[in-house]
Amino acid sequence: MSVLSVAALLVALLVAAPVVAHLLRRRQAEERPFPAAALVPATPPQARKRSALEDRALFAVRALAVIGLALLGATPFVRCSRVALNRQGGASVALSVVLDDSLSMRAPLPAGQAGATSGPTRFQRARQGALELLDGTRSGDAVAVVMAGAPARVLVAATTNVATAREAIEAAEPSDRATDLDESVRLGRELLDALPQSDKRVVVFSDLADGSAEGTALAAEGNVATWVPLGELAGLAEDCAVTRADRAANKVLARVVCTGAGTPAPTDGAAAQGSGSAAPGARPGAPTRLLELRAGEEVLALARVSTAEHLSDVTLELRGEAPEGLVARLAPGDAIAADDVAPVVAAGGSLEIAVVGDAASSHVETGGPPPVEQALTALELDARIHPLPSVPEHAEDLGNFGALIIDDQPGLTPEVRRALAAWVDKGGVVLLALGPRAAAAQLGATFEPLVAGVVRWGKSPSPGIDPGTAAAALGAAAPSYADLSAKGRASLDAGASDAAEVLARWQDGAPFLLRRPMGRGSVLVLTLPFDTEQSDLALRPAFLAIVDRFVSTARARGGARRIDAGQSWTFDGFQRVRVRRLGGAGAAAEVPVLEADGRPRAAPALAGAYEIDLGDEKVTRVAAVPEREIDFRPRPVSPSAASEVFGGVAPSMDVSPWVAVGLLALLAVEMALRVARRARAGTAPVVERTS
Amino acid sequence: MPVPPRTASATVRAARIPIDWGSLVPLRLRSKIIAEGVYAGMHRSVRRGPGVEFGGHRPYVPGDDLRFIDRRSLLRHDRLMVREFETETDRALWLVVDATASMSYRGPDAPGAKVAYAAVCAAGLARVALASGDPVGLVWIGGDGVRALPAMGGREAFERVLGTLEGAGAAGDASGDDQAMDRALMPIARRARRGATVVLFSDLLDLPPGAMASFGALGSGGRTPVVVWVLDPAEAKLSFQGNVRLRALEGGAVVEADADAVRATYLERLRAVGDGWERELTARGGRFVACTSGDDPAGVVRQVVRSLGEARR
Repeated sequence: MSVLSVAALLVALLVAAPVVAHLLRRRQAEERPFPAAALVPATPPQARKRSALEDRALFAVRALAVIGLALLGATPFVRCSRVALNRQGGASVALSVVLDDSLSMRAPLPAGQAGATSGPTRFQRARQGALELLDGTRSGDAVAVVMAGAPARVLVAATTNVATAREAIEAAEPSDRATDLDESVRLGRELLDALPQSDKRVVVFSDLADGSAEGTALAAEGNVATWVPLGELAGLAEDCAVTRADRAANKVLARVVCTGAGTPAPTDGAAAQGSGSAAPGARPGAPTRLLELRAGEEVLALARVSTAEHLSDVTLELRGEAPEGLVARLAPGDAIAADDVAPVVAAGGSLEIAVVGDAASSHVETGGPPPVEQALTALELDARIHPLPSVPEHAEDLGNFGALIIDDQPGLTPEVRRALAAWVDKGGVVLLALGPRAAAAQLGATFEPLVAGVVRWGKSPSPGIDPGTAAAALGAAAPSYADLSAKGRASLDAGASDAAEVLARWQDGAPFLLRRPMGRGSVLVLTLPFDTEQSDLALRPAFLAIVDRFVSTARARGGARRIDAGQSWTFDGFQRVRVRRLGGAGAAAEVPVLEADGRPRAAPALAGAYEIDLGDEKVTRVAAVPEREIDFRPRPVSPSAASEVFGGVAPSMDVSPWVAVGLLALLAVEMALRVARRARAGTAPVVERTS
Repeated sequence: MPVPPRTASATVRAARIPIDWGSLVPLRLRSKIIAEGVYAGMHRSVRRGPGVEFGGHRPYVPGDDLRFIDRRSLLRHDRLMVREFETETDRALWLVVDATASMSYRGPDAPGAKVAYAAVCAAGLARVALASGDPVGLVWIGGDGVRALPAMGGREAFERVLGTLEGAGAAGDASGDDQAMDRALMPIARRARRGATVVLFSDLLDLPPGAMASFGALGSGGRTPVVVWVLDPAEAKLSFQGNVRLRALEGGAVVEADADAVRATYLERLRAVGDGWERELTARGGRFVACTSGDDPAGVVRQVVRSLGEARR
């Protein structure tokens, strides 16, 4: 805002002038001619007194007029910044509003940035922009609303009832979820596919920080354009988050993830209070923050964390008996205060996965661990991998794990099968890969009850799977399995598919990937082993999707005490489940448990500790801040997505015509008031004409 | 002696103020309507003299015309008696119209200015008088574009009276002019004979201090002075409300007062003005008629005629 606009706005101070003049005005009657005035005795002169506002309506109109004039004088310096919609030839449009409710949207916009006047955070600005966009719609336009926080979800399906979409957007709140731009944009496109409008757009209100800064640029696909109207939302910010804090004995292992931008280092005095060990990556002189271990207001331990590192594991040592309810907190605060605190849970917060396989056969030429272990590491799924030579024969041994991967084992002994069945019934998840060794099982060594019937190995009549049948399970990576170069494949009896869901099929229709629920647990069956000599199964991108699905299933089954905010806990076999966020209050603390595919699920949107009431027992689980969300680098956007052809906020709307119209309206109101006032005064003596 | 500079208010008061006739026009038609509503008839003179109708006897005094000695009375009673006869005679009507600045006032409830109302009444009275054969004269107090008319009769006299009244404008401040009243009444005192009637139309406000005495003096010599006190309804009631600042049209008085609080005092003072004039006139055989410009002019004229009849009995 320039000096001229400030000077013009100062004119608005004149609104006080009528008040001052009015209050200081001496009450002096209007002089009227009267021939017999000499006969009228004069009353004693009245003292000067302040008079009250006699005509408040007239005064209000005039005050508004003064303010309007000031605004008019300030324009075009004062402008309204709004998201405007350009139409192609005035035709109706179909809009899919993608509103990002991820954690990074909690970051405040830089002070003074355009559009930051009405909301201090990115999410508030995005929500405001979405509402402004809806203001520009008219009859015939269709609107859908998709939330971009992971997992992407449809808030409002495409509708011409804009009021419904508006209400949904107004009710939206930011969360601690990760960002899933690709899926949300894909959902947005799908919602618009069947609509008759020729002008279809997916409008993304996001800071584009989905952890894929080097990923492909957001661009239009097909006949649906992609539009990112608020480029101002994207930007770097300094933020650190405590993503996990595990306690083992008298030690707490905390993980701090930072965006990498530094903050000023605290004083040495504050750091000297720490009793913990600094992160290994901390460099002398590098910007640091303090990680405090607190029990209420009491600081039990603290350590210095380098904010220059993206990821730091910090060990804090407790002295003596420590109470429950510990939290790890970063100080001082940063861009997002909500992710500076994490509850401390007992060790085991990560998913324990046991892998049973033959390292000799399941290896890659480049060396290193077997492919499945490499995949688990690459995905950074917060899983601890335990290679085992064989499947444990006792349920107690299996109880230490949340998930089990069995790669091409020659059948299972009865003891193992019994222990395995009991473990799965209680919520264990098994990924069973069947290969030539599984088909060569000795008599009595079968995979019952995980897989019904006999497993056979033979040459595969088809080179790979049908991507169409695997789209839901493997997503965009499914086509990579169209040709697996498989030397053979495992065949199952027809009864194996009973009570099982086929997630992917070979091109000849035979099952490739099955999921079979058992009790509270689940069994995933692959008809190929991980052996790279047998097929390219473990070398294709879809393998990561399989592993990711397996881990997600294991976490959802309760195998892990910690999930990322936005992911789901699944409670198979439980009838009455209540999930409540610890430390929350009222209805906001309750997480709804919804039935999906016949299974109750709860998806906490906020990070923190949750108490889960399963009816007969209560457990505490944690929803953590997704580590990949602590990366504010925006994803690239193709120039076409930021084009002003769609509209935008850069050419902000000049409000001066509206102010001028308002002034004219005020003038009309004032004239009406004066006429009414004159009519009222008609009952009193009027001034006589004398000359 | 240096002439003091004229103030702005004095300039305004000296300027001609066109008469606000309001709904009192046309004057000719109005006066005709008024006259038709007033029956006066022929009136007899109090003078005894040659005539046709016996008026009584009285003792002879030296100097009486010997033609009127009643011989029968002398023979029968041996006393000298004179027979008297009543004679019909023309009696002049002199109209005195106050056209000073204060008479230009018109309040919100009045049909016209006070001077317009006075002109209507004067025209109506003139028509009645002329219809009875009495000559009518006209003089002014103050005013602009006015001219005095000598007493004359006939149709032409009425036209001249109407023309003069219609062409007049209000002007002048009589409050500080001691000679204003004498200048206006001088022609009447000089020309009006015994039996003449002098009717003054005025608001009696802002007249010079000796105005009452000057006008009352006309009652001597057999003349009948009548005052028609013309007030505006707003003046008669002081219909203002609340705090008002009032400026006199003559004299320059400016008064700030709470109308509601001073109304009673004002009305008392106003009544005192009227009472003073009424007492003076009654003592000199005259009559006093009070009215407002909101009253029916015909009623006022009828009241004046009735008052004259009472005064002549």
